[in-house]
Amino acid sequence: MQPAAVYTRDRCITGIHGLDEILRGGIPYGSTVLASGTCGSGKTTLAMEFLVRGAIAGEACAHFTATEPSVKLLENIRQFEFFDMNMVDTGLINVFDMDVLYSWLGLEKSSFDLDDVHALIKAIVDIVNTIGVTRLVIDSVTTLCYKIKSEQLIRDFLFTLGKKLSTLGCTTILISEITSATENAHWSSFGVEEAIADGIVVMGDVERMGHLLRFLQVVKMRGTSHSRAKHAIELTPIGVMLTPMLKWGAQGDTKSRWGA
Amino acid sequence: MFELDQRIAEQLTEVALSSSVQVRCGNSNAFMVTASTMVPLMQMFEMGGVYISGSRSAMEMIEAFETIGIDVSNIQFIDLVSSGVLGGTTTTRKNIHYVDSPIMLESILLRSLYLLRTTTLERNFVILDSVNALAIYNDDRMLAEYLHTFINTFRQREVLSVILNVPDQTPPLVLSNLDLYCTDLIDRGQVVIH
Repeated sequence: MQPAAVYTRDRCITGIHGLDEILRGGIPYGSTVLASGTCGSGKTTLAMEFLVRGAIAGEACAHFTATEPSVKLLENIRQFEFFDMNMVDTGLINVFDMDVLYSWLGLEKSSFDLDDVHALIKAIVDIVNTIGVTRLVIDSVTTLCYKIKSEQLIRDFLFTLGKKLSTLGCTTILISEITSATENAHWSSFGVEEAIADGIVVMGDVERMGHLLRFLQVVKMRGTSHSRAKHAIELTPIGVMLTPMLKWGAQGDTKSRWGA
Repeated sequence: MFELDQRIAEQLTEVALSSSVQVRCGNSNAFMVTASTMVPLMQMFEMGGVYISGSRSAMEMIEAFETIGIDVSNIQFIDLVSSGVLGGTTTTRKNIHYVDSPIMLESILLRSLYLLRTTTLERNFVILDSVNALAIYNDDRMLAEYLHTFINTFRQREVLSVILNVPDQTPPLVLSNLDLYCTDLIDRGQVVIH
């Protein structure tokens, strides 16, 4: 008797050096992945490279920026050799300012209610649907969720958005800013994002004798086996590069920490 | 005139690309042994690659090579020394790259891999100068683990790794591990000065 064939989900190959190996082939298609990290840990660069690799493969990509104006984001990312401004000019990578989106939707207010949240979801989903986006980044979901005052509403927002994007076959990276430096910290700002996400990638620093080494760790990824080891990362001109962190050096000077 | 040790070149003809060569030298002959290893790799085997400069600054090493007539402009240098000196990283040389400190072991590995990905040469080496320089800053167990990773990473990619060390300044644990991991040994370490 032949053994039953093992079912493997199709993957969104990130194209990021080492990451696809850690994920045993890439992110399962249509997943919503939370990329949580402290400031300066490389979240935006990682997410932008994810889009660039998709654009190189001919995929339509979108980046919603809430933390900095798109002009500034593009200026910062242009220093990397892997980025080509033509990808933006030709519409392979579409960058949207969240402030502009709020303005279009008449959402220039300090806090969002249920209707506002639904309007925002509809706008994002419409853009994804119209352009045929298969790779999406929201940078950051933390900044966006600051306007949503209840935990329940944040949960509904992320769950509904993730579900709709998944139905459209869009693989999404939600960037989350964390500040905590202890191992008992949440992997998200509001504590609800991590439960909704299909995957969690944590980025931070290990302090070693006064120097900060960037690391990346895949904590969770539904639909694939994956390494859960801490990996050192380097932001090189050709993109993010990863290597397993030395076991004798992974703890840093004191104890495991997500940030400085 | 500066004289190279020709027996090192002869020994290197036996070495395969996926090899890892431990080169032992003494305090007094370190540069002669380094140059005698690097010159045949560049000139006889037409190799290029990465030189990790942990003992002295990259600029000092480049000038030393140039003084004896060796052009190293196509070799990429990773300097682990100069960032520790304010103003030390000011250079116009495009083949010098800086890592903040010798304790950033993973960064050194990743930077080497990055530089090797940008090279157009088919045959490459990575020279680590030196284990005893790294031993000043790093714990013995971590350094032994690092060398294990380092050697296997480049062996897998068919990049020749050359590990320089002064045996009497290298921790015994690290030295014994090097003996185990490396495929070849060039021993010029027993230099006794009376």
